[in-house]
Parts: sequence; C-alpha cells; structure tokens
Amino acid sequence: MRISENKLRGAVSNHIILMVLALTIILPIMVLVFNSIKPDEEFGINPLGFPEKVRVMNYYDAFVIGNYAQVMMNSLLLVTGTLIMCLTFSSMAAFSLAVLNPNGKATILIGIYLLVGLSIPAQLFILPLFIIWKNLHLNNTFIGLILIYSALNAPFAVFLIRSYMVQLPRELFEAAIVEGASTFQLFTRVALPLSWPVFLTTGLVVSLAVWNEFLFAVTFIHNEEFKPISTILYSFQNRREENYALISAASIMMAAPLAILFILFQRNFIAGLTSGGTKG
Amino acid sequence: MKVISKSIFYGIITTSFLFSTSAVAKTQISWWNYSNEGSGLNAALTQYIQDGFNSSQDEIELQIIFKEGEYNETTRTALLAGVGPDLVSSSGATYVAKYVEGGFLKSLEGYAEKFGWSDKILPWAYNTGVFRDELYSLPKNYESMLYFYNKTLFEENGWSLPTNLAEYESLAAEIQEQGLYPFAYGSSGWPMTHEHLAGNYLNTVAGPDNVYKAMVGEKEWTDPEFVESLELLKKHMRAGYWSGSLENYYAVGWDDFSAQFQNREAAMLQIGSWGFEIATGLDDKSDDWGWAPLPILTEEGGEPNYQLSVGGTLSINAASKNPDAAAEVLNWILSNKDTIIELTKSRNFGEWLMPLYYEEADFAGDIEPKLRDYLVDFSERTGNGNYGYTTWTYYPPEAGTHIWKDMEVVWAGDISVEEFLGEQQKLWEKARKNNELLPIAAR
Amino acid sequence: MEEWSRSAAPFIVLMKNLSNKEMTSWIFLAPVLFIHLLVVAIPSLSSLALCFTDWNGFGKINFVGFENFLELFDDRVFKKAVTHNLIWTGLFLTVPIALALLAAFLLTGVKRFQMFYRFVFFFPYILASIVNCLIWKYLFHPIHGLAAFFKDIGWESLATSPLTTKETSLYAVAFVDGWHFWGFLVVIYITAMYQVDESLYEAADIEGASKWQTFRYVTFPSIRPMFLFSFLIIIIWSVPAFDYVYILTSGGPAYSSEVVANFMYFEAFRNMNVGYASAVGALMFVYVFTILGFFWTLRKLGWEI
Repeated sequence: MRISENKLRGAVSNHIILMVLALTIILPIMVLVFNSIKPDEEFGINPLGFPEKVRVMNYYDAFVIGNYAQVMMNSLLLVTGTLIMCLTFSSMAAFSLAVLNPNGKATILIGIYLLVGLSIPAQLFILPLFIIWKNLHLNNTFIGLILIYSALNAPFAVFLIRSYMVQLPRELFEAAIVEGASTFQLFTRVALPLSWPVFLTTGLVVSLAVWNEFLFAVTFIHNEEFKPISTILYSFQNRREENYALISAASIMMAAPLAILFILFQRNFIAGLTSGGTKG
Repeated sequence: MKVISKSIFYGIITTSFLFSTSAVAKTQISWWNYSNEGSGLNAALTQYIQDGFNSSQDEIELQIIFKEGEYNETTRTALLAGVGPDLVSSSGATYVAKYVEGGFLKSLEGYAEKFGWSDKILPWAYNTGVFRDELYSLPKNYESMLYFYNKTLFEENGWSLPTNLAEYESLAAEIQEQGLYPFAYGSSGWPMTHEHLAGNYLNTVAGPDNVYKAMVGEKEWTDPEFVESLELLKKHMRAGYWSGSLENYYAVGWDDFSAQFQNREAAMLQIGSWGFEIATGLDDKSDDWGWAPLPILTEEGGEPNYQLSVGGTLSINAASKNPDAAAEVLNWILSNKDTIIELTKSRNFGEWLMPLYYEEADFAGDIEPKLRDYLVDFSERTGNGNYGYTTWTYYPPEAGTHIWKDMEVVWAGDISVEEFLGEQQKLWEKARKNNELLPIAAR
Repeated sequence: MEEWSRSAAPFIVLMKNLSNKEMTSWIFLAPVLFIHLLVVAIPSLSSLALCFTDWNGFGKINFVGFENFLELFDDRVFKKAVTHNLIWTGLFLTVPIALALLAAFLLTGVKRFQMFYRFVFFFPYILASIVNCLIWKYLFHPIHGLAAFFKDIGWESLATSPLTTKETSLYAVAFVDGWHFWGFLVVIYITAMYQVDESLYEAADIEGASKWQTFRYVTFPSIRPMFLFSFLIIIIWSVPAFDYVYILTSGGPAYSSEVVANFMYFEAFRNMNVGYASAVGALMFVYVFTILGFFWTLRKLGWEI
C-alpha cells in the first residue's frame, strides 16, 4: 500500500516537472502558430495572444508566393538522394569499422578523422569547394548538392550506424561465413537486415539536416526551378520588411512534413539509437 | 523498394543535367538580383525590366534570377570560380572595387563611348563607377540622408526645425519631455544603420571639406573635428535620441521604426531618401509630414549639404560569353527613362532611382510633390558644391565595416572615440598603401 | 587536384603492404572517405594553406609568414571571441545536459503521455535555425514581445531585449540555441536508459533507494558511455557554432556575443581578409586536436570512452 502511494506521488511530481519543461517549448511554439493565422493589422495591438480575426489565408498566400509545391518537391528530391547516397556509403563504412576490422588502427584513425570533420565550420571550405565543383561541373545540379550533403552528414551517420552494428552478435557472421558467404554478402544479408532500426534514426537526422540546410543550397543552386524549401523563408524577410504572418505560416508548412515523419517513426527512432555508440 | 529508389536516383541525375539544355535560339543573358518576394520587388523587376526588355527586341532573352540571403557573398563566390551571371549587381562601390581588382568585371569603357552613357548619367554618380580611369559599373540607385518630421505634431507643439547644434539639442529635449523619441530608428536586421548616423555626424559636425581631406590623406581621422563629431553622436545615442535607449535602438527594425514614426511615438526620422516610403505611410493617418536636409550641428549652423551615395550597381561579368548582349540590356535600361521611373515609383523611390538627367516633365502625373521637391533640391544643391560623402560609397572595405561594426564598441564605452578613430586612420593608411581607395572626385 | 595525386602515391604503397582482410575493410570505407575528402578535407586544407598569406580573396597571394598569427594574438575581437567560445562550451556542457538527464530519467518513469513529452521536447530540433531564431527574436522584442508584457506589469528590469544588452547577449543566444538542442540530448539519453538492466532497478527498489540514489548508482553508471559521447560531441560542435549567433545578433552589440566562427566568417566574407580568416581556421584545428588528444589520453589511462 505504502509503496504504491509513494509511486503515485512520484508519478505526479514527475508529471509536474515534465509539464513545466514541456510548457517552455509549447508556449513559444504557440505564439508562432497564433502569428501564422493572424491578420497583418493585428500584430501591433495583439502581439502575443490568439488572433481576434483568424486569417487562414496566410497559409495560402505563403504557399503561392513561396511556390511551395515546387520547392517542397525539390527538397524532397534532395532528401531522398542524400538518404540513398549517405546511408549506403555510411553503412558500408560502419560495417567495415564495426565488423570487418573492429580493432584495427584504421578504426581509431577514421574515428578521429570524422570527429575533426564535424568541427570544421562551413565558412572555411565553402569557397574552395565551389571552385572544385565548378571544375567538375557539379554546380547548380542536384547531384552536386546531394554529394555535399552526403559528405557533411556522413560522420554522424557512420557513428550512429557503427554503434549499432558493433552490438550485433558475432556468431551470426561466423555462421554465415561457414555457409560460404562472401564479405559483401555478410554486409547485405546479415549486417543490413539486422540493423534496420538504426537506419530510421539516422535517416531522420539526415533528413532534418538536409531539409533545413540553407548556406550550401543558396551558394550552389542558381536556378529558380531548383531552389529548395529552406531558401523560401529568407525571401520573406529582409532589411525592409519582416512579414511575421507569412514567415510564421511558411515556417509551419516547412516543419510539418518533418513533424509528421517524426510522429510516425517515433518508436523506431528511439530504438535505433543505442548506447554502444562509444565503445571500442 | 530498391527499384524505386534506383529510379529516383537516375531521375535526379537526369533532371540535374536538364537545366542547361533549354531552348537556345536567342542569346541568353542572366542577371542575379537580391530577392524580396514579400514586398513585390521580384515581380516588379520581372515585369518592368525582364519582360520589358524581352518584348522590346527578339534577339536577346534576359532572365533575372533572385538570390536569397547574402547575395553579395553568393555572387563573390561565383565570380571567384569564374562563373556567375552575365550581369552582376552589387551593393556598392566597395564590392565593385574588389571585383575590378580580381579582374572579374569587364570594362564598360567601350560601351559607354559607343552608347554615350556619360551623357545620360549624372557626373558624380558616373564617377563612382570609374576605376583605374575606366568605367566598370553603372549606378543603379542614388540616395542621400534626410530628415523627415511629423509636421502636424511640430505645429501642435510650436516646434521648428533646428538650424544649429543648440536648437537641435533643445528640440530633442522638448520632444523627450513629451514622452516621445526625437528620432525613430533602429538597427535590428540591418546593423549598417550605425554608419548612417556616423556619416551624418561627420558630414554635419566636421563638415564635408574636412571629410574630403581625411579621405584623400590631407588630414588625419584623429583630428579634433572628427573626435568632436563622434563624441557628439555618442552623447546623443546614449541620451536616447534614437528609440529611447541604446538597447532599444539595437532591437528595433524597419517595421518598428516605421510604426514609431507613423504612430506619433517619434517626432522625426533621420534616414536615407528611401525613407520617403515610410513618410508617405503617414498619408493614411491624419498627420502631415515634411522633409528637410540635415542641419549643420555646429554652434553657428550653416548651409546644409546632401551626402552623395550610390546604393547599388550593375556591371558585366568578365566571364560572360555575351558581353555585347549584356551591354544591350544595360543600354536599354538607361535609354528607357519612363520605364525606370515607373519601376522606381512602384518601389516608392527607395530602389531603382537611377541618377539620370531627369527633367520636371519626366515626373508629370501623380508623383508625390514633396518627393519632386527633394529631387530638384538635391540636384540644385549638389550642383552648387554642397555635397558630403556617405561611408558606404566612399570608404574602402575594411574602414567601411569598421565604421559601423566597431561603432558599437564606442557606444558601449569599451574603447574611446580617439582609439576608434586611431583604428580608422590605420585602416585608411593600409587601404591607401594597398591602392584600395575608392574613386573620389576632387572638390 | 594536384594535392590529390600527391596524397594518393603513399596510399598505393600502403595498399601493397596490407593483408587481404584489411584491404577489404578499406574498400568498404572508401566511398565515405572519398566524398568526405573531396567535399570537406581537400577544400579545408587548401583554405588552411592560405593562413601564411595575406590573400584578400581577389588579388595576388603574398606569403607573410606568421604575421597573421601575431596579429590574431593581438586582436581584441578575436580574444573576446575565444573567451566566448569557451563560455559557450561550458554552458552547453552543463545546462542542456543537466536538463536532458532530468527529463530523460523522469520520462523512463512515466507511462502516460510519454510519447507526447518526447515529441514536444524534440520538436524545436525539427525546426530550422532561422525559425527558432524568429520565434525568440519576436519574444525578446522590447516593443511587442515579452519585454512589453513585463513592462506592463511593472518589471522594468526585464523590459529590454536580452539580445541587445551587452551584458546578456551571449547568454540569450546560447539560451535560444540550447532551447532547440536539448531535446536531442533527451532522445539520446532516454535510449541509453532503456537499455539499463531492469533487474538493477528492481534491486534498488527493494533496498529502498531514493530517486536520486537510483539515478546516481544505477542509471548514470549505465549510460556513462553515451554521456561521455555527448560530452565529446558537444565540445566538438561548439567549435563551429555559428547559425544562432549570426542570425540573432551577428556577434553584437559591441562584440558581446562574438564567437570564433562568426569572426572568421566576417573576416573572410566581409572584410575580405581570407588569409587572416584561414589563420583562425588553423587555430581551430589546433584546438580540436588538443581536445581529441586529451580524450585519447583518458582512454589510454583506462577510461571507457
């Protein structure tokens, strides 16, 4: 009896703390949502509250002005392309580090190399990269941008996937070898099918990064038709004008697909992250 | 699943090569411009310039591409790699100087001669595009710094425009007593507003003659006139002349200070000629407004001057495959004054006010009379030699960023005005040594 | 492209000496290494090579030896930026980690609404940095934001924007970045916590351990590897911190929120001192290698990292 009462009290206090933390996020987001349905004239008199006159047309305006159908399609292409390339390459590398040669010098060297890679600010290499891309005729192409995004997201992807593969039981691989599987088959038939949860996680993190990326997109894409979604927000605000209603509506439209994706895959998302990540 | 992803992958590869193969019957000319979708700039430029030019002939096809974010940087990166648009626009002479130094721009000297551009553009503005004795850029927009004031509010309180320092300070004090800000202004989203104020004080306290001497190296920036100018600015900034306090000045942006001016929270607005856009906003309210040149802020006052400024340029990329066609576009713009006036009118004269030889008759129709007065007064006064210098048209790059960026350090009290001007002097000497000074015509 | 062929030569020699097994493992690593070298390493190195020059991004390249570094050590803004980066790292190593540990630990204890909380905590991480900045710039605004609200109820001290007050700007920017980031840590920690052996909790329960004791003696030791990993990754990620500073304050007012990456950006792209900016980049590398060396040493000393 006493224990359950204790537990109940514990659960209530848990919820109170969690709710307070959640409110620090919900309240600011609510202001964004309110602003997205607020008519322009109301911003001066009612900056924080729910709009007196709801104007859903903000979404329509932002959709049309921002050419959303097109930019979303472009971003979707970029995300898909990056997912395919980045996850393929990263999982191969992770397989090599986790299964083929887990204790080799290479593992440590590559680990350090990729960590250092994470610490380099884009401003340092964007200019020479642009020149290389021009010579390879990759400027202003989706494939050029996909290559960049794949490389930028590879370090973290390799870490995540490797940390999962490290935990796969070695016996499975040994059994497969006995059956005469080649190294490549070990990868495609054993390692990949067993680590699918981590691909959801990594995929989500990579998708987020690509969907929201701006600097490389605006530098490497020059055609109106190829612009991704992240550039649109910037065209609603500048020195002269900050159209809060349109930007807020545009922001929410931009976040919505990702939020839905996260809700759909939430359980699997967590399953893909493991604590083994830092061993070895 | 795999088949699908594969086909998407090939789809990406093929679409990514598609862009370069659109119909090539006409000569294609590309132009990058900064993007401002929200205020309709993109639509206006497309309509007046792109469509206007394309329908005027059928050999060249112009396409204007709008770049979000810091378009000067995107442009620079592209130029450096030897690509980029045929027509290069920039925010001012500072960028043009760098592009010329790198050899990224084509000299327009031949075209200027062929088309007679020097007869179409006001001389002082034409000269801001001349580097190493050759023309490299055309001025897209000219600007100057002005006062706007709420006329009705002034009449109600019996205030009059100041003509010297003492009047300026007592007026500000009176306005503050009423619980208003003397000036609506703020730097949020555009910290370069600091240089507007710095330039105003240098040109109205030390005066254009001294500024000119310091720019050409006959005086030092650490001389007492300049120290006095910036000390005065610091004093007024800290007294809350602009939006009440330094912190609020930093936090207030374009929309906010427009509202301050339009809603009687501030009595005046010290801003560039692009401020006509804000002032005309008062027309919807019951208050009347007026404008005036900046008063001279010395004991005895003096004849006001207009600071010269070119706020945007157009050039031809040295890597352009069709420079002649690009020059045709430029010439079409310079030759179609009516279109340009329509365009700048649609931008409330804040953009695309090209420094051409306008006549009264050009502004027939429904132009705001106060604006016409300004345009006429500007050419009269500057014609008489009463002109000053804006920092963003005449300062070399590093001194040009230092003047606004490090001004905050002065206002914060972290360094003194003397130290600040000492750094300015060093940056000017460095620029002079490296031959990086911008064109400055003799006074 | 020349660097490429030069670096490939010793690589080929190396390949000959490798056993078959190692060879295969390198083949699997090759694609990632190739694109990462191409996109990040080669451009970065060619940029770093400029740190001994005075290149302005356009004109001639002159060799100036260590002049850039000498100038940097004398640069008041750079010194400020370095200090701020250290403060920034310190802030992120404490506040978001503590909050995330708390939230994750509490979350493992609740069944109802768990998915809801998780979604809420993670939500800001989904939003683009510009959107997060927009929300907080709006809320911090002295005229229409929370400040106006505080002013109305008489709390004058909270009536100015913390972003534009030089004493608070750095913390205000870090707050916004942290607000967006800590949910990510929650997800990482909660995953690790779910892998803790249930029987350990049961044992703790039987012995009547308090919540804090359970956390201290059961949860925390079990998630230590993940914790240390997050520690390292935060240190690494703090080095190029840029977005939030750039969008919210551009390092101002009066450099009170300047950080190294923003300083480097400004020198390279606005002041056009590319050589000088490269010297900053070189120092960043030195710093990162020092940190990694430190962790490496800890590992050698037997820490499980």
